[in-house]
Amino acid sequence: MTASSADGQDPQPRLRDLEAMLDALADHAVIKLGPAGEVARWSRGAQALTGYTEAEILGRPVSVLQTAEDRDAGLMAQELETVRQHGRREFDGWRVTKSGERFLSHITLTPVVGDDGSVTGFVKVLRDVTESARTESLFHALLESAPDAMVIVGPDARIVLVNRQAEALFGFERDELVGQEIEVLVPTRFRRDHFGHRSGFLAAPQVRPMGAGLELWGLRRDGTEFPVEISLSPLETAEGRLVAAAIRDVTERRETEQRLQRQRDEILELSTPVIQVWDKILVLPIIGTLDTLRATRLTEGLLDSIARSQAEVAILDISGVPTIDTQVAQHLLKTVQAAALMGTVSIMSGVRPETAQSMVHLGIDMGRLRSRGTLQDALQLALTVLAERSGTAQTAARTLTSGEPR
Amino acid sequence: MNEDVVPVMRIGDTLLVALQGDLDDTTVIRIEEQLTREVSRTAATGMLIDVSRLTMVDSFIARVLARIVAMVRLLGAQAAVVGIQPAVAITLVELGVPMGHLDTALNAEQGLALLERLRRGDTGLD
Repeated sequence: MTASSADGQDPQPRLRDLEAMLDALADHAVIKLGPAGEVARWSRGAQALTGYTEAEILGRPVSVLQTAEDRDAGLMAQELETVRQHGRREFDGWRVTKSGERFLSHITLTPVVGDDGSVTGFVKVLRDVTESARTESLFHALLESAPDAMVIVGPDARIVLVNRQAEALFGFERDELVGQEIEVLVPTRFRRDHFGHRSGFLAAPQVRPMGAGLELWGLRRDGTEFPVEISLSPLETAEGRLVAAAIRDVTERRETEQRLQRQRDEILELSTPVIQVWDKILVLPIIGTLDTLRATRLTEGLLDSIARSQAEVAILDISGVPTIDTQVAQHLLKTVQAAALMGTVSIMSGVRPETAQSMVHLGIDMGRLRSRGTLQDALQLALTVLAERSGTAQTAARTLTSGEPR
Repeated sequence: MNEDVVPVMRIGDTLLVALQGDLDDTTVIRIEEQLTREVSRTAATGMLIDVSRLTMVDSFIARVLARIVAMVRLLGAQAAVVGIQPAVAITLVELGVPMGHLDTALNAEQGLALLERLRRGDTGLD
Protein backbone atom coordinates (compact mmCIF):
# COMPACT_ATOMS: atom_id res chain seq x y z
CA MET A 1 0.00 0.00 0.00
CA THR A 2 1.38 3.40 -0.99
CA ALA A 3 0.55 6.67 0.70
CA SER A 4 -1.57 7.85 -2.20
CA SER A 5 -3.70 4.74 -2.29
CA ALA A 6 -4.46 5.24 1.42
CA ASP A 7 -7.08 7.89 0.51
CA GLY A 8 -8.67 5.44 -1.88
CA GLN A 9 -7.12 6.80 -5.08
CA ASP A 10 -4.77 5.18 -7.50
CA PRO A 11 -2.02 7.58 -8.64
CA GLN A 12 -2.74 6.90 -12.33
CA PRO A 13 -6.43 7.91 -12.49
CA ARG A 14 -5.66 10.85 -10.26
CA LEU A 15 -3.06 12.17 -12.68
CA ARG A 16 -5.50 11.70 -15.53
CA ASP A 17 -8.07 13.73 -13.57
CA LEU A 18 -5.59 16.55 -13.09
CA GLU A 19 -4.74 16.56 -16.78
CA ALA A 20 -8.41 16.65 -17.70
CA MET A 21 -8.89 19.57 -15.33
CA LEU A 22 -5.95 21.43 -16.88
CA ASP A 23 -7.20 20.84 -20.41
CA ALA A 24 -10.64 22.08 -19.42
CA LEU A 25 -9.07 25.51 -18.87
CA ALA A 26 -9.70 26.31 -22.54
CA ASP A 27 -8.96 30.06 -22.34
CA HIS A 28 -5.82 29.66 -20.24
CA ALA A 29 -2.48 28.40 -21.49
CA VAL A 30 -0.86 26.29 -18.74
CA ILE A 31 2.78 25.53 -19.44
CA LYS A 32 5.28 23.56 -17.34
CA LEU A 33 8.85 24.78 -17.88
CA GLY A 34 12.13 23.10 -17.08
CA PRO A 35 14.74 24.95 -14.94
CA ALA A 36 16.15 26.73 -18.03
CA GLY A 37 12.78 27.74 -19.39
CA GLU A 38 12.33 24.92 -21.87
CA VAL A 39 8.77 23.68 -22.41
CA ALA A 40 8.16 20.44 -20.50
CA ARG A 41 4.38 20.15 -20.64
CA TRP A 42 1.82 21.97 -22.80
CA SER A 43 -1.92 22.15 -22.04
CA ARG A 44 -4.67 22.04 -24.64
CA GLY A 45 -5.48 25.66 -23.80
CA ALA A 46 -1.88 26.59 -24.63
CA GLN A 47 -2.30 25.05 -28.06
CA ALA A 48 -5.57 26.90 -28.62
CA LEU A 49 -4.05 30.23 -27.60
CA THR A 50 -0.69 30.04 -29.41
CA GLY A 51 -1.31 27.65 -32.31
CA TYR A 52 1.68 25.45 -31.41
CA THR A 53 1.02 21.74 -30.78
CA GLU A 54 2.72 20.00 -27.87
CA ALA A 55 4.86 18.01 -30.33
CA GLU A 56 6.07 21.18 -32.02
CA ILE A 57 7.13 22.99 -28.89
CA LEU A 58 8.26 20.38 -26.34
CA GLY A 59 11.89 20.98 -25.41
CA ARG A 60 12.08 24.41 -27.07
CA PRO A 61 12.60 27.53 -24.92
CA VAL A 62 9.31 29.26 -24.05
CA SER A 63 10.82 32.47 -25.43
CA VAL A 64 9.60 31.42 -28.89
CA LEU A 65 6.33 33.00 -27.75
CA GLN A 66 8.01 36.34 -27.07
CA THR A 67 8.36 39.22 -29.49
CA ALA A 68 11.71 39.42 -31.27
CA GLU A 69 12.71 42.53 -29.26
CA ASP A 70 11.95 40.88 -25.91
CA ARG A 71 13.80 37.75 -26.99
CA ASP A 72 16.84 39.78 -28.06
CA ALA A 73 16.75 41.65 -24.75
CA GLY A 74 16.95 38.30 -22.90
CA LEU A 75 13.72 39.00 -21.05
CA MET A 76 12.86 35.32 -20.41
CA ALA A 77 16.04 34.68 -18.44
CA GLN A 78 15.38 37.82 -16.36
CA GLU A 79 11.80 36.76 -15.61
CA LEU A 80 12.89 33.26 -14.56
CA GLU A 81 15.67 34.64 -12.39
CA THR A 82 13.31 37.09 -10.62
CA VAL A 83 10.82 34.35 -9.88
CA ARG A 84 13.60 31.99 -8.75
CA GLN A 85 14.75 34.64 -6.26
CA HIS A 86 11.46 36.18 -5.12
CA GLY A 87 8.73 33.65 -5.91
CA ARG A 88 5.52 33.92 -7.90
CA ARG A 89 5.00 36.99 -10.14
CA GLU A 90 2.08 38.35 -12.18
CA PHE A 91 2.59 40.71 -15.09
CA ASP A 92 1.23 41.72 -18.52
CA GLY A 93 3.23 41.37 -21.71
CA TRP A 94 2.93 41.07 -25.47
CA ARG A 95 3.28 37.52 -26.90
CA VAL A 96 3.22 36.17 -30.44
CA THR A 97 1.25 33.19 -31.82
CA LYS A 98 2.65 30.65 -34.26
CA SER A 99 1.06 32.59 -37.12
CA GLY A 100 2.85 35.77 -35.96
CA GLU A 101 -0.18 37.49 -34.35
CA ARG A 102 0.56 39.59 -31.28
CA PHE A 103 -1.69 39.38 -28.25
CA LEU A 104 -1.60 41.05 -24.85
CA SER A 105 -1.17 38.41 -22.23
CA HIS A 106 -1.74 38.39 -18.51
CA ILE A 107 0.97 36.07 -17.20
CA THR A 108 1.42 34.24 -13.88
CA LEU A 109 4.80 32.66 -13.35
CA THR A 110 5.25 30.30 -10.38
CA PRO A 111 8.43 28.46 -9.40
CA VAL A 112 8.26 24.69 -8.78
CA VAL A 113 10.40 23.82 -5.77
CA GLY A 114 11.93 20.35 -5.33
CA ASP A 115 12.37 18.36 -2.09
CA ASP A 116 15.81 19.94 -1.51
CA GLY A 117 14.40 23.46 -1.77
CA SER A 118 15.93 24.21 -5.17
CA VAL A 119 13.84 25.44 -8.08
CA THR A 120 13.32 22.54 -10.43
CA GLY A 121 11.09 24.29 -12.95
CA PHE A 122 8.25 26.76 -13.44
CA VAL A 123 4.53 26.84 -14.18
CA LYS A 124 3.47 29.60 -16.52
CA VAL A 125 -0.18 30.51 -17.01
CA LEU A 126 -1.15 32.89 -19.85
CA ARG A 127 -4.46 34.52 -20.53
CA ASP A 128 -5.32 36.64 -23.57
CA VAL A 129 -6.44 40.06 -22.29
CA THR A 130 -6.13 41.92 -25.61
CA GLU A 131 -9.89 42.41 -25.93
CA SER A 132 -10.56 43.65 -22.42
CA ALA A 133 -7.48 45.88 -22.61
CA ARG A 134 -8.80 47.32 -25.86
CA THR A 135 -12.24 47.93 -24.31
CA GLU A 136 -10.65 49.51 -21.30
CA SER A 137 -8.41 51.79 -23.32
CA LEU A 138 -11.38 52.74 -25.51
CA PHE A 139 -13.33 53.56 -22.35
CA HIS A 140 -10.49 55.68 -21.05
CA ALA A 141 -10.10 57.44 -24.39
CA LEU A 142 -13.84 58.20 -24.36
CA LEU A 143 -13.66 59.42 -20.80
CA GLU A 144 -10.71 61.69 -21.56
CA SER A 145 -12.21 63.08 -24.77
CA ALA A 146 -15.56 63.94 -23.14
CA PRO A 147 -16.11 67.71 -23.19
CA ASP A 148 -17.43 67.64 -19.62
CA ALA A 149 -15.64 66.84 -16.42
CA MET A 150 -16.43 63.20 -15.61
CA VAL A 151 -16.37 61.73 -12.13
CA ILE A 152 -17.24 58.07 -11.67
CA VAL A 153 -18.11 56.80 -8.22
CA GLY A 154 -18.54 53.29 -6.86
CA PRO A 155 -21.46 51.85 -4.88
CA ASP A 156 -19.86 53.23 -1.68
CA ALA A 157 -19.90 56.75 -3.25
CA ARG A 158 -16.12 56.80 -3.37
CA ILE A 159 -14.49 58.19 -6.49
CA VAL A 160 -13.24 55.47 -8.84
CA LEU A 161 -12.21 57.46 -11.89
CA VAL A 162 -11.90 61.07 -12.96
CA ASN A 163 -10.87 62.55 -16.29
CA ARG A 164 -8.47 65.37 -17.09
CA GLN A 165 -11.31 67.87 -17.38
CA ALA A 166 -12.41 67.02 -13.83
CA GLU A 167 -8.86 67.55 -12.56
CA ALA A 168 -8.73 70.94 -14.28
CA LEU A 169 -12.23 71.97 -13.15
CA PHE A 170 -11.80 71.13 -9.47
CA GLY A 171 -8.05 71.80 -9.21
CA PHE A 172 -7.30 68.35 -7.76
CA GLU A 173 -4.76 65.81 -8.96
CA ARG A 174 -6.28 62.50 -10.00
CA ASP A 175 -4.53 60.65 -7.16
CA GLU A 176 -5.99 63.05 -4.59
CA LEU A 177 -9.52 62.31 -5.72
CA VAL A 178 -9.58 58.58 -6.34
CA GLY A 179 -10.75 56.77 -3.18
CA GLN A 180 -12.28 59.94 -1.65
CA GLU A 181 -16.01 60.26 -1.04
CA ILE A 182 -17.77 62.26 -3.75
CA GLU A 183 -18.73 64.90 -1.13
CA VAL A 184 -15.16 66.24 -1.26
CA LEU A 185 -16.36 68.11 -4.38
CA VAL A 186 -19.56 69.38 -2.72
CA PRO A 187 -19.64 72.64 -0.70
CA THR A 188 -19.93 71.89 3.03
CA ARG A 189 -23.39 73.40 3.44
CA PHE A 190 -24.85 70.97 0.87
CA ARG A 191 -23.06 67.82 2.03
CA ARG A 192 -25.70 66.61 4.47
CA ASP A 193 -28.42 66.85 1.81
CA HIS A 194 -26.14 65.26 -0.75
CA PHE A 195 -25.77 62.13 1.42
CA GLY A 196 -29.52 61.62 1.23
CA HIS A 197 -29.80 62.39 -2.48
CA ARG A 198 -27.02 60.02 -3.47
CA SER A 199 -28.48 57.03 -1.64
CA GLY A 200 -31.80 57.88 -3.27
CA PHE A 201 -30.16 57.79 -6.67
CA LEU A 202 -28.36 54.51 -5.98
CA ALA A 203 -31.67 52.95 -4.91
CA ALA A 204 -33.42 53.97 -8.14
CA PRO A 205 -30.77 54.80 -10.68
CA GLN A 206 -31.69 56.32 -14.04
CA VAL A 207 -30.14 58.75 -16.47
CA ARG A 208 -31.24 62.16 -15.31
CA PRO A 209 -30.04 65.69 -14.56
CA MET A 210 -29.10 66.18 -10.91
CA GLY A 211 -31.13 68.48 -8.66
CA ALA A 212 -33.73 69.55 -11.21
CA GLY A 213 -34.75 73.12 -10.50
CA LEU A 214 -31.97 73.66 -7.96
CA GLU A 215 -28.85 75.75 -8.29
CA LEU A 216 -25.94 73.35 -7.89
CA TRP A 217 -22.48 74.32 -6.73
CA GLY A 218 -19.11 72.62 -7.03
CA LEU A 219 -16.21 73.02 -4.58
CA ARG A 220 -12.66 73.51 -5.84
CA ARG A 221 -9.54 72.36 -4.00
CA ASP A 222 -8.81 76.00 -3.06
CA GLY A 223 -12.23 76.27 -1.37
CA THR A 224 -13.88 78.46 -4.03
CA GLU A 225 -17.31 77.50 -5.34
CA PHE A 226 -18.73 77.63 -8.83
CA PRO A 227 -22.17 76.94 -10.33
CA VAL A 228 -22.49 73.59 -12.06
CA GLU A 229 -24.87 71.47 -14.03
CA ILE A 230 -24.64 67.73 -13.49
CA SER A 231 -26.14 64.77 -15.30
CA LEU A 232 -26.01 61.32 -13.77
CA SER A 233 -25.98 57.90 -15.41
CA PRO A 234 -25.73 54.50 -13.77
CA LEU A 235 -23.07 52.07 -15.06
CA GLU A 236 -23.52 48.35 -14.40
CA THR A 237 -20.07 46.72 -14.23
CA ALA A 238 -18.34 43.67 -12.83
CA GLU A 239 -17.28 45.87 -9.89
CA GLY A 240 -20.90 46.65 -9.12
CA ARG A 241 -23.09 49.62 -9.88
CA LEU A 242 -21.07 52.73 -10.69
CA VAL A 243 -22.47 56.19 -11.24
CA ALA A 244 -21.02 58.49 -13.88
CA ALA A 245 -21.50 62.18 -13.25
CA ALA A 246 -20.91 64.63 -16.11
CA ILE A 247 -20.20 68.03 -14.57
CA ARG A 248 -20.30 71.31 -16.48
CA ASP A 249 -19.18 74.70 -15.20
CA VAL A 250 -22.07 77.10 -15.91
CA THR A 251 -20.51 80.24 -14.37
CA GLU A 252 -20.67 82.05 -17.68
CA ARG A 253 -24.25 81.09 -18.44
CA ARG A 254 -25.41 81.94 -14.92
CA GLU A 255 -23.74 85.36 -15.30
CA THR A 256 -25.39 85.94 -18.66
CA GLU A 257 -28.78 85.07 -17.16
CA GLN A 258 -28.20 87.45 -14.27
CA ARG A 259 -27.11 90.22 -16.64
CA LEU A 260 -30.26 89.69 -18.72
CA GLN A 261 -32.41 89.85 -15.59
CA ARG A 262 -30.68 93.06 -14.49
CA GLN A 263 -31.25 94.62 -17.89
CA ARG A 264 -34.91 93.61 -17.81
CA ASP A 265 -35.21 95.22 -14.38
CA GLU A 266 -33.49 98.37 -15.59
CA ILE A 267 -35.78 98.65 -18.60
CA LEU A 268 -38.79 98.24 -16.33
CA GLU A 269 -37.34 100.84 -13.99
CA LEU A 270 -36.82 103.25 -16.89
CA SER A 271 -40.30 102.63 -18.22
CA THR A 272 -41.97 103.52 -14.91
CA PRO A 273 -40.25 106.67 -13.64
CA VAL A 274 -41.57 108.70 -10.73
CA ILE A 275 -40.74 112.42 -10.79
CA GLN A 276 -41.00 114.75 -7.83
CA VAL A 277 -42.13 118.00 -9.50
CA TRP A 278 -42.93 119.98 -6.39
CA ASP A 279 -42.68 119.70 -2.65
CA LYS A 280 -45.09 116.84 -1.79
CA ILE A 281 -46.20 116.33 -5.41
CA LEU A 282 -45.14 113.32 -7.51
CA VAL A 283 -45.81 112.83 -11.21
CA LEU A 284 -45.95 109.37 -12.70
CA PRO A 285 -45.88 109.64 -16.50
CA ILE A 286 -47.16 106.32 -17.84
CA ILE A 287 -45.98 105.58 -21.35
CA GLY A 288 -46.89 102.59 -23.49
CA THR A 289 -49.03 99.56 -22.78
CA LEU A 290 -49.53 98.53 -19.17
CA ASP A 291 -49.26 94.80 -18.67
CA THR A 292 -49.55 93.15 -15.26
CA LEU A 293 -45.77 93.05 -14.66
CA ARG A 294 -45.32 96.71 -15.56
CA ALA A 295 -48.40 97.70 -13.56
CA THR A 296 -47.02 95.91 -10.48
CA ARG A 297 -43.68 97.67 -10.85
CA LEU A 298 -45.48 100.96 -11.35
CA THR A 299 -47.49 100.54 -8.16
CA GLU A 300 -44.43 99.48 -6.14
CA GLY A 301 -42.36 102.31 -7.61
CA LEU A 302 -44.98 104.92 -6.78
CA LEU A 303 -45.61 103.66 -3.22
CA ASP A 304 -41.88 103.49 -2.47
CA SER A 305 -41.48 107.05 -3.75
CA ILE A 306 -44.39 108.14 -1.57
CA ALA A 307 -42.81 106.49 1.48
CA ARG A 308 -39.49 108.17 0.67
CA SER A 309 -40.73 111.65 -0.19
CA GLN A 310 -43.90 111.69 1.99
CA ALA A 311 -45.62 113.29 -0.97
CA GLU A 312 -49.30 114.02 -0.40
CA VAL A 313 -50.39 114.16 -4.01
CA ALA A 314 -49.56 111.82 -6.91
CA ILE A 315 -50.41 112.70 -10.50
CA LEU A 316 -50.85 109.72 -12.82
CA ASP A 317 -50.38 111.05 -16.35
CA ILE A 318 -51.80 108.66 -18.93
CA SER A 319 -51.29 110.81 -22.05
CA GLY A 320 -48.66 108.29 -23.18
CA VAL A 321 -50.95 105.26 -22.87
CA PRO A 322 -52.45 104.29 -26.27
CA THR A 323 -55.66 102.74 -24.94
CA ILE A 324 -57.25 102.36 -21.54
CA ASP A 325 -59.09 99.06 -21.40
CA THR A 326 -60.77 97.43 -18.42
CA GLN A 327 -57.58 95.72 -17.31
CA VAL A 328 -55.43 98.84 -17.44
CA ALA A 329 -58.12 100.77 -15.60
CA GLN A 330 -58.13 98.05 -12.94
CA HIS A 331 -54.37 98.40 -12.52
CA LEU A 332 -54.65 102.18 -12.22
CA LEU A 333 -57.46 101.92 -9.66
CA LYS A 334 -55.46 99.54 -7.48
CA THR A 335 -52.51 101.92 -7.55
CA VAL A 336 -54.79 104.81 -6.57
CA GLN A 337 -56.35 102.79 -3.73
CA ALA A 338 -52.99 101.69 -2.35
CA ALA A 339 -51.69 105.26 -2.45
CA ALA A 340 -54.88 106.44 -0.69
CA LEU A 341 -54.31 103.88 2.09
CA MET A 342 -50.92 105.44 2.71
CA GLY A 343 -52.58 108.86 2.85
CA THR A 344 -51.77 110.21 -0.60
CA VAL A 345 -54.36 111.68 -2.99
CA SER A 346 -54.13 110.69 -6.65
CA ILE A 347 -55.07 112.78 -9.65
CA MET A 348 -55.30 111.42 -13.18
CA SER A 349 -54.21 113.58 -16.08
CA GLY A 350 -53.78 113.41 -19.83
CA VAL A 351 -57.14 111.86 -20.68
CA ARG A 352 -57.79 112.48 -24.39
CA PRO A 353 -61.36 112.98 -25.73
CA GLU A 354 -61.40 109.60 -27.45
CA THR A 355 -60.04 107.91 -24.31
CA ALA A 356 -62.83 109.49 -22.23
CA GLN A 357 -65.42 108.23 -24.74
CA SER A 358 -64.12 104.67 -24.88
CA MET A 359 -63.75 104.46 -21.10
CA VAL A 360 -67.37 105.40 -20.57
CA HIS A 361 -68.50 103.08 -23.37
CA LEU A 362 -66.56 100.22 -21.76
CA GLY A 363 -68.29 101.00 -18.47
CA ILE A 364 -65.03 101.70 -16.69
CA ASP A 365 -65.70 103.34 -13.33
CA MET A 366 -62.75 105.18 -11.85
CA GLY A 367 -64.68 105.83 -8.66
CA ARG A 368 -63.94 109.14 -6.94
CA LEU A 369 -60.64 109.57 -8.78
CA ARG A 370 -60.31 113.13 -9.97
CA SER A 371 -59.15 113.70 -13.50
CA ARG A 372 -57.81 116.64 -15.51
CA GLY A 373 -57.22 116.97 -19.25
CA THR A 374 -53.70 118.33 -19.06
CA LEU A 375 -50.77 117.85 -16.72
CA GLN A 376 -50.76 121.60 -16.11
CA ASP A 377 -54.36 121.53 -14.83
CA ALA A 378 -53.58 118.51 -12.71
CA LEU A 379 -50.62 120.31 -11.15
CA GLN A 380 -52.84 123.30 -10.41
CA LEU A 381 -55.34 120.99 -8.68
CA ALA A 382 -52.54 119.32 -6.73
CA LEU A 383 -51.32 122.66 -5.38
CA THR A 384 -54.86 123.54 -4.38
CA VAL A 385 -55.22 120.22 -2.57
CA LEU A 386 -51.99 120.85 -0.68
CA ALA A 387 -53.05 124.34 0.29
CA GLU A 388 -56.43 123.07 1.44
CA ARG A 389 -54.88 120.25 3.40
CA SER A 390 -52.45 122.46 5.24
CA GLY A 391 -55.42 124.64 6.07
CA THR A 392 -53.60 127.86 5.16
CA ALA A 393 -55.84 128.84 2.29
CA GLN A 394 -59.55 128.76 2.93
CA THR A 395 -60.16 130.26 -0.50
CA ALA A 396 -58.39 127.37 -2.14
CA ALA A 397 -60.85 124.97 -0.54
CA ARG A 398 -63.73 126.98 -1.90
CA THR A 399 -62.21 127.12 -5.40
CA LEU A 400 -61.75 123.39 -5.28
CA THR A 401 -65.24 122.66 -4.01
CA SER A 402 -66.76 124.74 -6.81
CA GLY A 403 -64.74 122.68 -9.27
CA GLU A 404 -66.04 119.40 -7.76
CA PRO A 405 -67.48 116.94 -8.33
CA ARG A 406 -66.47 115.87 -11.78
CA MET B 1 -58.52 94.69 33.48
CA ASN B 2 -56.94 98.11 33.77
CA GLU B 3 -53.39 97.61 32.55
CA ASP B 4 -52.12 99.31 29.40
CA VAL B 5 -51.31 97.15 26.43
CA VAL B 6 -50.23 99.85 23.97
CA PRO B 7 -48.29 103.06 24.56
CA VAL B 8 -50.55 106.11 24.19
CA MET B 9 -49.05 109.57 23.79
CA ARG B 10 -51.06 112.74 24.25
CA ILE B 11 -50.43 115.80 22.04
CA GLY B 12 -52.88 118.55 22.93
CA ASP B 13 -56.34 117.19 22.24
CA THR B 14 -55.01 114.30 20.23
CA LEU B 15 -53.96 110.81 21.34
CA LEU B 16 -51.22 109.07 19.40
CA VAL B 17 -51.31 105.26 19.55
CA ALA B 18 -48.65 102.98 18.06
CA LEU B 19 -49.78 99.43 17.31
CA GLN B 20 -47.02 96.82 17.22
CA GLY B 21 -46.27 93.16 17.72
CA ASP B 22 -48.67 90.28 17.26
CA LEU B 23 -52.30 91.23 17.62
CA ASP B 24 -54.47 88.31 18.67
CA ASP B 25 -58.16 88.39 19.67
CA THR B 26 -57.47 88.85 23.40
CA THR B 27 -54.93 91.63 22.84
CA VAL B 28 -57.31 93.42 20.47
CA ILE B 29 -60.12 93.41 23.07
CA ARG B 30 -57.74 94.83 25.67
CA ILE B 31 -56.53 97.51 23.24
CA GLU B 32 -60.14 98.48 22.53
CA GLU B 33 -60.84 98.70 26.27
CA GLN B 34 -57.74 100.80 26.87
CA LEU B 35 -58.30 103.23 23.96
CA THR B 36 -62.00 103.89 24.63
CA ARG B 37 -61.15 104.42 28.33
CA GLU B 38 -58.36 106.87 27.39
CA VAL B 39 -60.54 108.90 24.99
CA SER B 40 -63.25 109.13 27.61
CA ARG B 41 -60.84 109.98 30.43
CA THR B 42 -58.86 112.63 28.54
CA ALA B 43 -61.80 114.01 26.56
CA ALA B 44 -59.55 113.92 23.50
CA THR B 45 -61.08 115.04 20.23
CA GLY B 46 -58.82 113.07 17.95
CA MET B 47 -56.79 109.88 17.75
CA LEU B 48 -53.97 108.90 15.40
CA ILE B 49 -53.33 105.15 15.06
CA ASP B 50 -49.77 104.56 13.88
CA VAL B 51 -49.39 101.21 12.11
CA SER B 52 -45.91 101.75 10.62
CA ARG B 53 -44.49 99.08 12.96
CA LEU B 54 -46.95 96.48 11.70
CA THR B 55 -45.26 94.66 8.86
CA MET B 56 -48.09 92.19 8.46
CA VAL B 57 -51.55 93.64 8.09
CA ASP B 58 -54.29 91.27 6.94
CA SER B 59 -58.07 91.56 6.71
CA PHE B 60 -58.31 90.78 10.45
CA ILE B 61 -56.15 93.77 11.38
CA ALA B 62 -58.06 95.88 8.85
CA ARG B 63 -61.35 95.02 10.61
CA VAL B 64 -59.76 95.78 13.99
CA LEU B 65 -58.71 99.24 12.75
CA ALA B 66 -62.22 99.92 11.42
CA ARG B 67 -63.69 98.85 14.79
CA ILE B 68 -61.41 101.11 16.82
CA VAL B 69 -62.16 104.06 14.53
CA ALA B 70 -65.92 103.44 14.88
CA MET B 71 -65.66 103.28 18.71
CA VAL B 72 -63.62 106.49 18.84
CA ARG B 73 -66.16 108.25 16.62
CA LEU B 74 -69.01 107.12 18.87
CA LEU B 75 -67.17 108.80 21.73
CA GLY B 76 -67.24 112.04 19.73
CA ALA B 77 -63.63 112.10 18.55
CA GLN B 78 -62.06 111.84 15.08
CA ALA B 79 -59.65 109.03 14.21
CA ALA B 80 -57.14 108.46 11.41
CA VAL B 81 -54.67 105.72 10.57
CA VAL B 82 -51.10 106.79 9.76
CA GLY B 83 -47.98 105.07 8.49
CA ILE B 84 -49.38 102.29 6.29
CA GLN B 85 -46.31 100.83 4.56
CA PRO B 86 -46.15 100.32 0.74
CA ALA B 87 -46.17 96.52 0.99
CA VAL B 88 -49.09 96.60 3.41
CA ALA B 89 -51.05 98.96 1.13
CA ILE B 90 -50.52 96.66 -1.86
CA THR B 91 -51.55 93.60 0.15
CA LEU B 92 -54.77 95.23 1.39
CA VAL B 93 -55.70 96.35 -2.14
CA GLU B 94 -54.90 92.92 -3.61
CA LEU B 95 -56.93 91.22 -0.85
CA GLY B 96 -59.79 93.55 -1.74
CA VAL B 97 -60.23 94.61 1.90
CA PRO B 98 -62.69 97.55 1.91
CA MET B 99 -60.78 100.46 3.48
CA GLY B 100 -62.58 103.39 1.85
CA HIS B 101 -64.18 104.53 5.13
CA LEU B 102 -60.79 104.87 6.86
CA ASP B 103 -59.07 108.25 6.92
CA THR B 104 -55.35 107.79 6.37
CA ALA B 105 -52.25 109.96 6.36
CA LEU B 106 -48.58 109.42 5.58
CA ASN B 107 -47.18 110.39 8.97
CA ALA B 108 -48.09 111.86 12.34
CA GLU B 109 -47.62 115.46 11.18
CA GLN B 110 -49.95 115.06 8.20
CA GLY B 111 -52.22 113.01 10.40
CA LEU B 112 -52.60 115.92 12.80
CA ALA B 113 -53.52 118.20 9.86
CA LEU B 114 -56.04 115.61 8.67
CA LEU B 115 -57.63 115.40 12.15
CA GLU B 116 -57.85 119.21 12.16
CA ARG B 117 -59.78 119.09 8.86
CA LEU B 118 -62.02 116.33 10.17
CA ARG B 119 -62.76 118.35 13.31
CA ARG B 120 -63.77 121.32 11.15
CA GLY B 121 -66.30 118.99 9.55
CA ASP B 122 -64.43 119.30 6.29
CA THR B 123 -64.21 115.75 4.95
CA GLY B 124 -61.28 116.65 2.74
CA LEU B 125 -60.74 115.40 -0.73
CA ASP B 126 -60.23 111.70 -0.15
